[in-house]
Amino acid sequence: MVQAILFLPLIGAVIAGLFGTKAFKQLGTDDEVYADHAHNAPSVEHSHDQHGYNGPPWPMYLTTGLLCIGAVLSWIIFFGFLQGGHDGEIELLPWITSGSLKAAWSIRLDALTAVMLVVVNTVSALVHVYSLGYMSHDESQPRFFAYLSLFTFAMLALVTANNLIQMFFGWEGVGLASYLLIGFWYTRESANAAAIKAFVVNRVGDFGFALGIFGVFMVYGSVEFPVIFAHAPDAVGKTIHFLGHDWDTLTTLCLLLFMGAMGKSAQFLLHTWLPDAMEGPTPVSALIHAATMVTAGVFLVARLSPLFELAPHAREVVTIVGAITAFFAATVGLVQNDIKRVIAYSTCSQLGYMFVAMGVGAYGVGIFHLFTHAFFKALLFLGAGSVIHAMSGEQDMRKMGGLGPYVRITQAVMLIGTFSLTGVGIPGIGGFAGFHSKDAIIEASYAGGSTFAFALLVIAALCTSFYSWRLAFMTFSGPTRADKEVLDHAHESPPVMLVPLYVLAAGAIIAGFAFQHWFMGEGQAEFWGAAIYRSPDNHILTQMESVPLLVKWSATIAMLAGLGLAWLFYIRDTSLPKALAAVNQPAYQFLLNKWYFDELYDFIFVRPAKWIGRVFWKGGDGAVIDGLGPDGVSAAISGVTAQAVKLQTGYVYHYAFAMLIGVAAIISWFSFGGIHP
Amino acid sequence: MSIFQQLGAAAALPEILLAIMAMVLLLEGVFVTAHTPNTIRWGAIASMVAVAGLVIWKSGSGSVEAFGGAFVADGFARLMKVLALLGGAVTLAMSGKYLARTRMDSEEYPVLIMLASVGMMVMISAGDLISLYVGLELQSLPLYVIAAINRDNAKSSEAGLKYFVLGALSSGMLLYGASLVYGFTGHTDFAGISAALAKTGATPGVVFGLVFIITGLAFKVSAVPFHMWTPDVYEGAPTPVTAFFAAAPKIAAIALFARVMVGPFAGVTHSWQQVVIFISIASMAFGAVAAIGQSNIKRLMAYSSIANMGFALVGLAAGTVEGVEGLIVYMLIYLATTLGTFACIMAMRRKGIYVEQISDLAGLSRNDKGLAFVLAMLMFSMAGIPPLAGFFGKLFVFLAAVKAGLYVLAVLGVVASVIGAYYYLRIVKLIYFDEAAEKFDGADMELAIVAYASLAFVLGFIVFAQPLVNLASAAAKSLF
Amino acid sequence: MIGLTHYLTVAAILFTIGIFGIFLNRKNVIVIMMSIELILLSVNINLVAFSFYLHDLTGQVFALLILTVAAGEAAIGLAILVTYFRNRGTIAVEDINMMKG
Repeated sequence: MVQAILFLPLIGAVIAGLFGTKAFKQLGTDDEVYADHAHNAPSVEHSHDQHGYNGPPWPMYLTTGLLCIGAVLSWIIFFGFLQGGHDGEIELLPWITSGSLKAAWSIRLDALTAVMLVVVNTVSALVHVYSLGYMSHDESQPRFFAYLSLFTFAMLALVTANNLIQMFFGWEGVGLASYLLIGFWYTRESANAAAIKAFVVNRVGDFGFALGIFGVFMVYGSVEFPVIFAHAPDAVGKTIHFLGHDWDTLTTLCLLLFMGAMGKSAQFLLHTWLPDAMEGPTPVSALIHAATMVTAGVFLVARLSPLFELAPHAREVVTIVGAITAFFAATVGLVQNDIKRVIAYSTCSQLGYMFVAMGVGAYGVGIFHLFTHAFFKALLFLGAGSVIHAMSGEQDMRKMGGLGPYVRITQAVMLIGTFSLTGVGIPGIGGFAGFHSKDAIIEASYAGGSTFAFALLVIAALCTSFYSWRLAFMTFSGPTRADKEVLDHAHESPPVMLVPLYVLAAGAIIAGFAFQHWFMGEGQAEFWGAAIYRSPDNHILTQMESVPLLVKWSATIAMLAGLGLAWLFYIRDTSLPKALAAVNQPAYQFLLNKWYFDELYDFIFVRPAKWIGRVFWKGGDGAVIDGLGPDGVSAAISGVTAQAVKLQTGYVYHYAFAMLIGVAAIISWFSFGGIHP
Repeated sequence: MSIFQQLGAAAALPEILLAIMAMVLLLEGVFVTAHTPNTIRWGAIASMVAVAGLVIWKSGSGSVEAFGGAFVADGFARLMKVLALLGGAVTLAMSGKYLARTRMDSEEYPVLIMLASVGMMVMISAGDLISLYVGLELQSLPLYVIAAINRDNAKSSEAGLKYFVLGALSSGMLLYGASLVYGFTGHTDFAGISAALAKTGATPGVVFGLVFIITGLAFKVSAVPFHMWTPDVYEGAPTPVTAFFAAAPKIAAIALFARVMVGPFAGVTHSWQQVVIFISIASMAFGAVAAIGQSNIKRLMAYSSIANMGFALVGLAAGTVEGVEGLIVYMLIYLATTLGTFACIMAMRRKGIYVEQISDLAGLSRNDKGLAFVLAMLMFSMAGIPPLAGFFGKLFVFLAAVKAGLYVLAVLGVVASVIGAYYYLRIVKLIYFDEAAEKFDGADMELAIVAYASLAFVLGFIVFAQPLVNLASAAAKSLF
Repeated sequence: MIGLTHYLTVAAILFTIGIFGIFLNRKNVIVIMMSIELILLSVNINLVAFSFYLHDLTGQVFALLILTVAAGEAAIGLAILVTYFRNRGTIAVEDINMMKG
């Protein structure tokens, strides 16, 4: 069954990609393809241009159908684990066997995998369905669906991996799919730039990840999870001698691996690609940049919990980076005007929460937040997509407002998503999905003894509430700021787009209290089994029970405060934000420009890199290599050719002379060189 | 026991039969006025194919000597003879319509080709310096004539004259070398020379003689710096003659070259190896470089064949069984590719006039997809692009050179083949990407058959390479 | 006493004269023909001399064959020269220059 889950998307991607796309069908008649692409330059994300898709619909239905089957199967496996399923390893084929390096292609099936299967396949299937409506005007739909399915396959390969190499394969696979999908509208320069940025920034993380894998192989002599986990304690207290300093083995390994996680999960310092990735179609943002791929880093840490449990210093770093990310992204989200960017920063911030949970050892809580977050964040993205769809491609919230009456259903589900994200609920009783998981993380951060993280997370919760409600108010309430023309066309999305929203909304409401029992309640030990390792002196879950009442309420209070502020700013007195921005101009600009990270990186890395590149290009490649290499050689050869042709004078006596010269040369060679018997 | 049996002349039966057939056909052409040149031509083709069949049929195994060792029929000789005869027969088959259209069809032409073929067969089977010389001259004299067969054309006459003058000079040099070798070893038969050299090793007299002999042979294979006649003769001679020149005599000459080097002069391998390496490198480099500047496609093919001979000589330079094996495979592929290419060149006819400028091929893909594809594939093959046949030819000879420790030669060969790829690919570019020139009249059936057969060979070589390589391997072994 | 060396020297000189005749002569193709005959003659002297000193008849057989072939060669050469003359009206070596490059 799990094999089917893994390979159905691949089959769909291959068939749709090879046989459904225009490139294949029009092989040979290139002119038309080029002509079509020339027109395919939508000025806004969702332009209703006249060049719609006119191919057969089967590639879309095929991929969507296969994904839906996969989603249903995933839930069956998941429920099996809720009832106490068995861990398993299914070896599919031997893959790499080189010396002592052995990596088989096998599936590791445990509770963690089951959770990830559900998250990935559910969101992916819903996004596929949603895209049937959202992308219905796009002319390269088969390509889009093929990419989506390819991504899903890579993600599944990642989460089912039983060794680091296979995981790395999935890791890079999702990176590739992400690149392809961000740059899906490849006629747009900004989309290409964003795709490249995502790819390059991820390389930085992957560099660490790859080093981590090498290190693990060096220390344990294997990349297979069972072997590593069994021998994890052997490395405690050992050191790696490098650059004249002894580094603690496990801390080093974990930090290197965490570097990969930081890249993939857009953590502080490596976060810059995520907001730009919003250049991709909105369903892509929902699937890849909210629900699944960006959580790969969190998954990685959870999967490697046997290593991280033994490296407390590495976990401290994880906690701090997570907390800073949560805080930083939330503050930036406060002032963004692009509806998708707000949600993107929100994602970044929520990922920070998850890492804090990992850092303090509450792995189940972190995965729980990953689980609920998938629902409400996908819901918010798809809802935002619905809004954008209604607004004919407009993404700037300053040009929205008062849309509520036009898109009632979208408004309703977006509000559910907002409730869930901000954590509406009553401590001790229950609430929306996000309430259960997020508040648990805040409690865990306190219980874990990191006051720093706790403080940042509470502030971030306040900010979260504020920007979420700001988004809701600016979009749906108040007087409209949209063009009349746009407003006339504003319409609710078709049912095919709404159904996924309903499903996700249901998840955003109930996923919290429905599954709390298994993820972090009494049933957690039984549910997780061996999937997550906690050392005997890790009592975070019991400590969470006994945090002060104020801590339990802190998140709710922050949420209410944020709501109140947002109401004050965007309903009560809409002139306040401007006034505040005017008074605190430097602070406002600082936030608006995302703490100037892009500028900083541009200054530190991009420009020097470009300068070095130019030096090597013009000086090294152009002057030296081209000059002496291809260009020089070809120039030399054309010179030689002219001379060689001149030798052929046409005169018989010259020809005879050449022959004589040849003979004379050879005779001289032997006369002076000597004859060796 | 008749004198025929005493001499062991049965081994030379194919040559004798072909010579008799040539004379019969000549008489028929002169006396039977009802016969058209076409009949003679098909008669000649039939005789050559039949003789090739006889060579295969009588092949058996092992080597047979005749005329006191002056004539050797071994596996190597049989294979190369079949190739040479096929080359001659195919070019003769291709040339009919061309000669008729240009009013050059005469009874002598097929007969001359047959006689030249007899000469080639004698060359290939030569076991003595005398039979070597006689075979060489028997091949060369008809070639001088057919180069000038277009009697009313100044270019053709000039080609014949140049070929004759330089050919006679090269024969003279070869003979001078032969006389020295005879004088310093006391033998003209290869076995005797070999035995004598095994005793004395390389002496100055023998090495000088060897150099002159190599000069004569290098002239025949048109290796630099003895290649100068090639472009002019290729350009000036009528195209079917050029096709013949590029195909059969090259096989015979390279076969003779290989036989003389690894046979009688095996004892002084170190000496001739240096010379062969030198002319091989010079040919590869010069052929590649000079071809770039050409505008006439026949002239281009001349430089191409110069370069090709350079590559073939890489195999010989190795001086090993593998090297000769590579050389045979290379010549086999060269023959197939050259015949196909010349079939394409002879299809370049516009409003009844044969054209031969490279620029006439521009945009061919628009007008004649089939011809364009065949020519493009042949060019790719000659450029050595895998998985086409030409790649494997080069691969075999380079591998042999590397195995023999001639790394520099192999590297220079690869460099030369990269440079050479330029002008082949330029033709492909011209065919597929340039503004279309006027349409060609369409290829005759014979040409189309040859072209497509050549295409099939070039594309399919990778599939049926093994039996061919086995054949070449067996032939190469019979030489050592 | 005239020894083998003398014969060989004469032959070498003849050979050299023949070669030089081919590429120093700019006027007449007939001179080239004569030079070729000279080369073949030098070869024959070589062969006969060697044959005599080696007490081996092969060289003389070779020489006879060369004489025969040379006759045929000369005939063919002259025939080609005639067709050339008919086309161009000249047999000056420096005019044989229609094709080059």
